Amino acid sequence: MFQCVHCDEQALSPIFLPQDSERKLPFCCQGCLTVYEVLKEKSLSSYYDIKKSSAIFRRRSPVETSRNQYTFLDDKKFLHDHIYRNPDNFPVMDFYLEGIHCLACLWLIEKLPEFLPGVCHAKLDLDKSVVSVTIFPEGKFSLVARELDRLGYRPHALDRNEDAKRLRENEERSYLMRLGVAGAAAGNIMIYSFSLYAGASLETAKIFHVLTVILALPVFTYSAFPFYQSAWTSLKNRMVSIDIPISMALIMGAIMGVRGLLLNFEENYFDSLTALVFLLLLSRYFLRKIQDKGLSVRDMHYFYQNESVLRKTPSGFEEVHTSYVKPGDIIKVRSDEFIPADGIVIEGDSLINNSLLTGESLPDHVKKGHRVFSGTQNLGSDLLVTVEKTSRETRLGQILRHVEQGWSMRSRTVDLTSIVARYFTLSVILLSGIVFLMVLNESGAEAGLTRALTLLIVTCPCALAISVPLTFHRSLSLAAKNGIIVKSDEVFEKLSKSFKVFFDKTGTVTLGQLEVKEVRILQPLLVNASDVIFTLEQRSRHPVGKALLDFAKRSGGQALDVTDLRETPGVGVEGAIKGIHYSINGGMIFENESKVASFCVKDGLRNDSASVISRLNKMGIETSVLSGDRADVVLLISQEVGIPVERSYFSMTPESKLEILRNSPQSVMVGDGANDAMAMECASVGIAVSGAMDISLRAADVYLTIPGLAGVEKLFILSKETMKVVRRNLVLSLTYNSVSVALVFTGHISPLAAAIVMPVSSLTVLASTLAGTKKMRTLWRS
Amino acid sequence: MEILIVLLPLALGLGASFLGFFLWSVKKGQYDDVETPKYRMLLEDTKVDMKKRKET
Repeated sequence: MFQCVHCDEQALSPIFLPQDSERKLPFCCQGCLTVYEVLKEKSLSSYYDIKKSSAIFRRRSPVETSRNQYTFLDDKKFLHDHIYRNPDNFPVMDFYLEGIHCLACLWLIEKLPEFLPGVCHAKLDLDKSVVSVTIFPEGKFSLVARELDRLGYRPHALDRNEDAKRLRENEERSYLMRLGVAGAAAGNIMIYSFSLYAGASLETAKIFHVLTVILALPVFTYSAFPFYQSAWTSLKNRMVSIDIPISMALIMGAIMGVRGLLLNFEENYFDSLTALVFLLLLSRYFLRKIQDKGLSVRDMHYFYQNESVLRKTPSGFEEVHTSYVKPGDIIKVRSDEFIPADGIVIEGDSLINNSLLTGESLPDHVKKGHRVFSGTQNLGSDLLVTVEKTSRETRLGQILRHVEQGWSMRSRTVDLTSIVARYFTLSVILLSGIVFLMVLNESGAEAGLTRALTLLIVTCPCALAISVPLTFHRSLSLAAKNGIIVKSDEVFEKLSKSFKVFFDKTGTVTLGQLEVKEVRILQPLLVNASDVIFTLEQRSRHPVGKALLDFAKRSGGQALDVTDLRETPGVGVEGAIKGIHYSINGGMIFENESKVASFCVKDGLRNDSASVISRLNKMGIETSVLSGDRADVVLLISQEVGIPVERSYFSMTPESKLEILRNSPQSVMVGDGANDAMAMECASVGIAVSGAMDISLRAADVYLTIPGLAGVEKLFILSKETMKVVRRNLVLSLTYNSVSVALVFTGHISPLAAAIVMPVSSLTVLASTLAGTKKMRTLWRS
Repeated sequence: MEILIVLLPLALGLGASFLGFFLWSVKKGQYDDVETPKYRMLLEDTKVDMKKRKET
């Protein structure tokens, strides 16, 4: 097994530099090899030294560079929407970069000012994969973007939207400040409380007592404010949330503490209450951080396949951002580019890959007068298209609208923790009321309140409020490290309950690219067959031609001298080699008009499809295929991956896929195209595979950034294990709570003892969270 | 116990000044990105080889 020098992915059929005769430097694809050469040419090879000696930050997929010139980045209108100014009034633009994965990436990106003239400063945020590039007034962002693209990091300019950005920044900072205040106060209070417990006497005790109250006040007012706020919101909406008992304990504790001070009553529980605020804020802060990461990835424009398009102007073609294309414009779609709008072909003759829109694996032939749709890909030669409909009006836009509606109407599922939280909260409030009344009869209001407060502290919902978010936090970051982006923590519980997975075929189970597995020789050729194929197809743009060329390259074909090389669109290629006439068409190779070889093209399986599906089956998960493709193609593939005929659905429209998912609750849809989007949105969990269209990313709950289906299996295991830990923590803390409630009722526990036992119980739960399970630990290591 | 009159304000003052420093640094945006800087400092010494570049 070879490992790609550049992207570290495993390369099954590696390629090498021509001068690398010892085959020391394997590359997985042309993209990675090109970047290697670019870096070498620019004397930036230190990149590989740094990469070797540093830990990999996250996995990346092989490099794909584009031919975009990014001139739309210099457009005045575009600049106005996307740049902001640094203190020296130099323009700054933020880009999301694909493929940031290790220390060396950080080094390379931040060295931009040293090797690219015009760049003043570049600062990368590794966590978010966002780089802020400052240029000199005379510099151009198009040059920066082109350079980044050449280095293998495809850039996506980010909307400036300063207000939203500042708002979020301020919110985050104020949260951190509340946390800091709570931590400082809790720490100091603990010191004074310690000496109080240790038996500080008279005057000293009084001073310490006053100090704890003074220190605790900002915690109760400023730091704990988010709890009161959320408790109030849930009360207003007549909902029960865990913040209600927390707020109750805090308010009651604060009032009793201040009252104790005024009446010279010596005890308060500010040490445990402030520590509680600090711990709760801390755990929520962590969870927020990881969720923010998911949210920023959710801005799907990061992953737009193609952001610019060539628009015809009187003086030629200009590159514009796709959102500026209007009906009536004439656009040029180059080969391999995605068509950004619905329209009619006015010039050109090419093949269109519809697989993302319809699921068909074989391309359609289009010429003048044919209609093309947004979201399909041009595989052949350049096309000129008159735009008829853009964005919302296109067929793709309609599906998108459906998906967005579905998302907004989607109800938040009632998950395990919120059910537990509801009963827990209600019973805690009820119990503290009962305790108060009970003790009130026996020994008065003072003792009654003390007992009720003890109960509130002792039942502080640590497992619910701290350990559950932390468990999810851990799993989310574990998933992210494995290249799996999970939009919300609900996914884990839903997945752990799902036992049915529907796979899309084209692009999900298969590569979505045509492939030639073998060329069968019918009669011995006068010239080596691979050489013939290589020679004739070397400039071919036809997908079958490209597949053949790949095959020839793999079997060591070489270019020979050729005359009369001719490609007839829709038919095939022909030419003369060493005076012998060869032609390739209709799945055959002809030598002087007689058949000499045949080949078969098909959409190749992804490397890991069959193994992942069989392992999922072993885990007791039922797998099915849903495809828009023809019956024979679908059945062949499902046979190869081991899915029975009765669970292979073919000729599905987006609507019929949706129907199937609607009728099978608690199932998972894995797909990549627009035709899967509605089904993914409707499914209990929608998973978009790497290379998926932005519309299916919008519909999905999970995005796999690494090619292949391995992520699906990993996520299933991870979800099951996560829920195991969550349940374990719930059981642990509820047991502890019931025992302590019993002790409070019988009067065997004082607030002081409760304050000591509480952190101990929190620590056990925390330890259980961090330990995870054995399977989780192995997943973490791999 | 008279020493407390000196020690208490001292301790509280120290605590308050550190808290103040923390709040100031949060406001300055020191905690906006806590991931990258720890890696960045490792790379400061690796320079782009400018000499080699001029030769090529």
